[in-house]
Amino acid sequence: MEVGRLNLKNPIMLASGILGSHVGSLNRIAKQAGAVVTKSVGLEGREGYKNPCIVTWECGILNAVGLSSPPAKDFARELRSFNKTCPLIVSLFGSNPEEFVELVKIFDFADGFELNLSCPHAKGLGLEVGRDFDLVYEIIRKVKGKTNKPVFAKVSANLDYVELAKVCESAKADGIVAINTVRGMAIDIVSKRPVLSNVSGGVSGKAIKPIALKCVWDIYEEVNIPVIGCGGISNWKDVVEFALAGAKAVQVGSAFYHSYDVIGNILEGLNSYLRINGLRFEDLVGLAHRR
Amino acid sequence: MFCLRVRRVVRHSEKVSTLILEREVPSKPGQFLMVNVIGYEEIPLSLSSPNSITVKAVGETTKALVKFKGGEILGIRGPFGKSFTPSNRALIIAGGIGIAPLRYLYHWLNAEVTVFYGARSRDELVFLEEFEDVHVSTDDGSYGFKGNVVQLLKRSNVNFDCFDRIYCCGPPVMLKSLYELLKKNDALKKSEFSIERFMRCGIGLCGSCVLENGLRVCREGPVFRGDELTPVFERSLYKSHEDR
Ligand SMILES: Cc1cc2nc3c(=O)[nH]c(=O)nc-3n(C[C@H](O)[C@H](O)[C@H](O)COP(=O)(O)OP(=O)(O)OC[C@H]3O[C@@H](n4cnc5c(N)ncnc54)[C@H](O)[C@@H]3O)c2cc1C
Ligand SMILES: Cc1cc2nc3c(=O)[nH]c(=O)nc-3n(C[C@H](O)[C@H](O)[C@H](O)COP(=O)(O)O)c2cc1C
Ligand code: FES
Repeated sequence: MEVGRLNLKNPIMLASGILGSHVGSLNRIAKQAGAVVTKSVGLEGREGYKNPCIVTWECGILNAVGLSSPPAKDFARELRSFNKTCPLIVSLFGSNPEEFVELVKIFDFADGFELNLSCPHAKGLGLEVGRDFDLVYEIIRKVKGKTNKPVFAKVSANLDYVELAKVCESAKADGIVAINTVRGMAIDIVSKRPVLSNVSGGVSGKAIKPIALKCVWDIYEEVNIPVIGCGGISNWKDVVEFALAGAKAVQVGSAFYHSYDVIGNILEGLNSYLRINGLRFEDLVGLAHRR
Repeated sequence: MFCLRVRRVVRHSEKVSTLILEREVPSKPGQFLMVNVIGYEEIPLSLSSPNSITVKAVGETTKALVKFKGGEILGIRGPFGKSFTPSNRALIIAGGIGIAPLRYLYHWLNAEVTVFYGARSRDELVFLEEFEDVHVSTDDGSYGFKGNVVQLLKRSNVNFDCFDRIYCCGPPVMLKSLYELLKKNDALKKSEFSIERFMRCGIGLCGSCVLENGLRVCREGPVFRGDELTPVFERSLYKSHEDR
């Protein structure tokens, strides 16, 4: 199936930053996934924030890993042993068009790119770049000028994502990934301090599913390029819901907390649902918008 | 996350302490906690009994922990990870602070257990008096055999066929030579290694503890069957974990 010029094995992809730092885990997940997205990488290595950088609670996960990743050149070397059992999408972060262009050159072997315009807890990166629509336009234009691989823009629910999606479309992005984690925090009532070393973090998992679904719905109404849904997806019913809202594919992250095989399990359920109803996945996309 | 008070501290030596927690954590030997030392960092530590952790001072956070006096509060996530599995005739091989999870295992096993235990010097040998059938080595010869524990095993001509499980935990160099010894003796399949990797989330998401074969130390480990670790000990295709 094709999504924004990318040939997916199936509609369920691995989301960026989940088990995406080493080729060992990517190779394992690639056997089941429609495509895998790596951990976001920049030109220079980043330590990330100190532990605790992840906590769970009843409704999901809160993290401030802080875009910890090795320098691009080291990560590229690691990714050379990717097993190619599905497309490899490299997620990139940077603060200006030149950095993104440089990164695209380093990862010229990737099948596609995802631009991180949405990480809510890294100074001068992610969401802080995504907030500057002119800058986003420049970044996408320059990246598109440098590569003919598909380029996806990952957006945040913490800003005017519909406007941003339109900017991405006008800059010729191949698709929109919605959404990244939503800003949040937790306070420990015994020590009476914020739990995360970075104080503020990003919420993922079940808690954000309705938020992500609404973003997909809104973006689908306003742009013509494909939307890839992400946020709180943990079973095949969630996937059907996102497809009905307009997602041509989805990404799964936090649900790896429950099982390493979560994508395989989702696919099994999804395929039986499609078979019983005599549908193709494509038939579901945007169906709930009919009036 | 929850909080536990440290009830009492046993200071074994300048560098090693056991922190006894106010209550037991439902767990099995080999499992670990993510311990948030408020004001410092959150770090992975194995349980050395259902209600204790045993820490060696190596950096800022562990140095602070070792100096605890009792009464302090710790933030706890866990227990996480896979535990050791039971057996009837057991051989325990420990190096240094690797004794922590194996000491929990020793008391949990309902079995005849032989212990081989190596440390740098006499004052780093902890819990020694708790083991009945124990063979000791120290690097400096201040107690027992002078040398490392793998040399002691070889020297003692241990017959690995006598045991139905071999449990190992210790520093990476020790585990590597132990892996080779057990492989030569065709005993990898019945051996269990507890290994360490840098950890952040402890719940299988962040990917920082992933091994060359894709297994996660925090979820599929930290206890692995010896033969699952072939890609770790026999391929230096990837950087060693210290510089990851
Ligand atoms: C599953 C597991 C069980 C462990 N059990 C014990 C135990 O029972 N007793 C004990 O004394 N130690 C144990 N350790 C090691 C302990 O976690 C480190 O010694 C500790 O994190 C060091 O923190 P620091 O701030 O004092 O030192 P630092 O100066 O931060 O680091 C010193 C060394 O510890 C390693 N380290 C630092 N942070 C982490 C981390 N988050 N995860 C893994 N390694 C880290 C570093 O790579 C470095 O080599 C265990 C580690 C793991 C992975
Ligand atoms: C631990 C963790 C690390 C993440 N790292 C990244 C990252 O590096 N880049 C990125 O674009 N998104 C990152 N994300 C966001 C996820 O890709 C995803 O957008 C978000 O978690 C929502 O999906 P989920 O509910 O399925 O997890 C991370 C999420 C988590 C939980
Ligand atoms: S520590 Fe995060 S995956 Fe193991």
